[in-house]
Amino acid sequence: MEELLRMEHISKQFAGFYANRDICLTVNRGEVLTLLGENGAGKSTLMNILIGLYQPTEGKIFFKGKEERIESPGQAVRLGIGMVHQHFMLVEAMTVFENIILGDKNSGGIFIDRDARRAEIEALAGRYGLDVELDKLITEISVGAQQRVEILKALYHGAELLILDEPSAALTDIEVEGLFAIIQKLTEEGKSIISISHKMREVLRISDRITVLRAGEVVTTVKRNETDAQKLANLMIGHELAGSQYEKKTKSDGQTVLKLNEVKYHEHSKHNGLAGVSIEVKAGEIVGIAGVDGNGQTQLAQVVTGVISPEQGALEIKGEKISVSDPSAFIGRNVSHVPEDRNLQGLIGDMPISDNLILKLTDSAQFSRGKGMFLKKKEIRSYAENLTEKYDIRCTSVEQDVRSLSGGNQQKVILARELESEPELLVAAHPTRGLDIGATRFVHDQMIAARDRGVGILLISADFDEILEMSDRILVMFEGQIMGEFSGENPPVEEISLAMTGR
Amino acid sequence: MEKLRKSLTTFLVPLLSILLAFLIGAIIMAGLGANPLTAMYALFKGAFGTSASVGTTLNKAVPLIFTSLCACFAYKCGVYNLGGEGQFLMGATTGFCVVHCLGLTGLPGILAALVTGTIAGGIWGMLPGILKITRGLNEMIISIMLNYVATLFMGVIYTSWIRDANMPQTPSVDDSLKLGRVISDMRFTWALIIALAVGLILYYFLYWTSSGFKLRAVGLNMTASRFNGFPVKRYILISFIVSGAIAGLGGASDLLGTQYRLINGYGSGYGFDGVAIALIGQLHPIATIIVAIFFAALRVGSTSMQVSTGVPTSVSDIIQALVIVFSVAGMALTKLPEFEAFRLRLFSKKGKEEVNA
Amino acid sequence: MSISFVTNLILAAIRMAVPLLFIALAELYSERAGMVNIGLEGLATVGALAGFMLTYLTGNTWLGILCGALAGILINMIYAYATVTLCANHTVYGMAINLLAPALASFIYRVYFGEGSSLMQITLMQGIGIPVLKDIPFLGTLLFNQTPMVYLAVALVIFTGIFFGKSKAGLNYKAVGEYPKAAATLGIPVIRTKYLSCVICGALAGIGGAYLTTCYSTTYTEGIVSGRGFIALAAVIFGRWTGGGVLLACLFFGFCDALQIRLQVLNIGIPYQFFQMIPYVATILVLTVVGSRKAGPQANGKPYRKEER
Repeated sequence: MEELLRMEHISKQFAGFYANRDICLTVNRGEVLTLLGENGAGKSTLMNILIGLYQPTEGKIFFKGKEERIESPGQAVRLGIGMVHQHFMLVEAMTVFENIILGDKNSGGIFIDRDARRAEIEALAGRYGLDVELDKLITEISVGAQQRVEILKALYHGAELLILDEPSAALTDIEVEGLFAIIQKLTEEGKSIISISHKMREVLRISDRITVLRAGEVVTTVKRNETDAQKLANLMIGHELAGSQYEKKTKSDGQTVLKLNEVKYHEHSKHNGLAGVSIEVKAGEIVGIAGVDGNGQTQLAQVVTGVISPEQGALEIKGEKISVSDPSAFIGRNVSHVPEDRNLQGLIGDMPISDNLILKLTDSAQFSRGKGMFLKKKEIRSYAENLTEKYDIRCTSVEQDVRSLSGGNQQKVILARELESEPELLVAAHPTRGLDIGATRFVHDQMIAARDRGVGILLISADFDEILEMSDRILVMFEGQIMGEFSGENPPVEEISLAMTGR
Repeated sequence: MEKLRKSLTTFLVPLLSILLAFLIGAIIMAGLGANPLTAMYALFKGAFGTSASVGTTLNKAVPLIFTSLCACFAYKCGVYNLGGEGQFLMGATTGFCVVHCLGLTGLPGILAALVTGTIAGGIWGMLPGILKITRGLNEMIISIMLNYVATLFMGVIYTSWIRDANMPQTPSVDDSLKLGRVISDMRFTWALIIALAVGLILYYFLYWTSSGFKLRAVGLNMTASRFNGFPVKRYILISFIVSGAIAGLGGASDLLGTQYRLINGYGSGYGFDGVAIALIGQLHPIATIIVAIFFAALRVGSTSMQVSTGVPTSVSDIIQALVIVFSVAGMALTKLPEFEAFRLRLFSKKGKEEVNA
Repeated sequence: MSISFVTNLILAAIRMAVPLLFIALAELYSERAGMVNIGLEGLATVGALAGFMLTYLTGNTWLGILCGALAGILINMIYAYATVTLCANHTVYGMAINLLAPALASFIYRVYFGEGSSLMQITLMQGIGIPVLKDIPFLGTLLFNQTPMVYLAVALVIFTGIFFGKSKAGLNYKAVGEYPKAAATLGIPVIRTKYLSCVICGALAGIGGAYLTTCYSTTYTEGIVSGRGFIALAAVIFGRWTGGGVLLACLFFGFCDALQIRLQVLNIGIPYQFFQMIPYVATILVLTVVGSRKAGPQANGKPYRKEER
């Protein structure tokens, strides 16, 4: 097979640490190479180097046998490298057609020759089975269709190597099958694909070869037919994938802290709504909500913390019906929230660590005189210093702005704040997203400890392994509905995976 | 340590900006054929040379302190109130009309003018706030439009409704209403004391109370504030009202302190100057007051500079504008990741510690 | 009301609308690339002065217009460097320009013409009638007997419509304002486009200012722009970020302005300032009705950093 891309000894250094170190890989024409690795393994950095967003600190890239320095995304496009980002690079206010021809260098002339371009695009779409409606606005089409637009766009710009970043992350099951068919077609036509993924099923389905990354380095590259899921998982994690290390509490006899009954919110929006959700969380248990991202989990987390109001159905905290939805009403009832976007929703980035730790406590007698009339800054400081130690928040001083901390330490600040308020219900949405293994472990330990103290925890995560590891009970969410309930002890993995795809 | 580093950038950037602006000012002066050093000396002597000039400078600073505190307070809550001028004028106009029409004199008159001026400024500030939180309108455009309306409204008063015989201005307020001097041989009045008090209260409120803390949090991250249970819209509206009220109080105080009557051109530019001063003062009320006095000194001093060296007063306007141009750019520069990397390399030993942490 | 009153009113409305239109188009081009520039007032002020001075020196209004454009570009490059390269806050920096530019203009005027000089006057640009068409009753004087600047403004509106609606370059330009990161992945030069938008913005705002001194008023006075820079911001929102929309918005504001002047002249016992308030109050009312939430380019006013890490 002819070689299309070779990356030799690529390293990328960011302010003292290596995101990529001495990475070598090759991609042949007409094959699918999967980059497998956990969050933070260096997959995205490597691909950003390939598409010219980052410059490698060291190393060489050969494309079609020629050494190339890829200095800008535009140059990558010209070379024939196209990337479908996990967060689509589509302009929402434009039509599908306009998005595809954006930045077009194939044709001359000042004006857009709509008929000619349409014919080209339609021919291309027909050839690869990429079914799109050219005149719709991006906002009017489904996520799956948006992905097809992205692929078509890359092909239109002459891509011979397609990089797909977590291609199935936001797709429904049927759409995933469609995607696999498209990938098949693409490789048959001689296109090469690099797929970034950590989903074992998908990896085994589509890959010809698999390169495993761990902590910024290549562990190994294996052929699809010479490996299996267990072997890959071991390579990826670096140790045997064992059962959960935590003791599961399958029988909780605690008080019911959260009860949702047929809660609805934007019922007909499959990806951003709740279509009649009933959930119960008892004190001292972790209820895990499994599911592919974008099936209403965001809305669920926001409904049970008062950020948005349910349109129908009942919501009870500790048996008390809540009619007015407002975050302060929930905070007042000892509900804590680790939100999914820590920078946007959880922290005031330009305020010091100490202020973020006492964000909700400024009216308390502990930190102020006269109900908030005079802040006790010394108390605040020493409290914050205690917490940074207790929660292992690594910083030079509690006066440091939270923005300057690493993601893991930022998450610990939120966790410290939310757990120290002695909640009865903790809602944690993707609490370890983007965190390294050490920080993840710490967050998990803290949550288990909170559970053992009697806190009821609603854990929402798109990371299936996290759900399996942590949950005492597992609920699966799909298109705004609960698809089934499973025990957290010896969970039926296959069955849950199926439920996550809507079956 | 961390605090020190932060305050270093906070002080250094405005300071360097001022130096740079003066340097360019000096080049302009030299270009006009004047000796920059003599001109600068004349400028500072004009502003601070005698106790009389210090008093004039402080009086001149009063309206600037108010409008800059007005801008500062709104910015702290994350909204742009560019309507300080209109709120200031509504305060002055309302205060004037109330005492004039009701014929109030003495202390009751002073209090009435100050209170009604504050209320009028607050209402004028509330309008863009309400339109922002209910209709999602851009508060900057609305507040600027309201500046023009306020200026024209004042025009109605001094040209038509309360006109002083055939001059396009109102009669002066009653002598018993004029704010007296605090120290008899210094020219500055109680208006300055009111201004300083407002600044101190703002400092206390923003940095030492729970509500001020939350207001700042709302200003820095509205989404996170909402998630953490703060009533964001209420804070935004309150910040508009209070911000307007500060300017309104300023209008009334300045009217009774130095201005005494409504006249064409009164208050022109105070609002935008206030915004600039607040930004140079890094939105800190105390620093803002200091910068306001500095700006006033430039204005007062530039007149004597013109008299003694022939350098036109507008040079000082340019210097003021350059200070804001440089300091805002400088603040942006220090926030760039490239600058952070540069700083780390510069203090590589300290830098390594931080990275490893 | 007589026909001539109406014709005169509409004529005046057009005259009032044209400078506003240039300035609003400046903002349109700026915001389409994601650059919110509230420094228009300042840009127009230096444009007005430059236009006035060059015309005063050479007697050629066209040189005045050209120089106004150059002055606008020059000042706006400060804004461009600070906001694009240094990622300074657009609004704050626009304010800075609004302080710097008028200070500079008044300094130059005073140094050049002397502190207490009486008002210098220049001859205005002459109207050019389009043969035959200008003789059509009513419409003729209305549409075809204007200064070339009016035709230029109309041509610019048409060009803008074609540029953003039909051309490749326009599509790419819009993408920069909507989603710069996506534009960059396709090889569209985001930074260069943003700088270009600032050049266009400076030029058009400068022309708008120069129009005031070369085609509208015969003198330069401080505050000659009198809020047009800010009304232009509203016109862009009102006009929904399209050339045609901005034209209509400017005609509306121009009409308000023309109307208030006519009403002042009528002298009906109401203080004239109330009429002068009409354009400003109309702006507020229009925006209140139209609303501005979720409109305009998505990445408007947001800084763009190349390597986010």
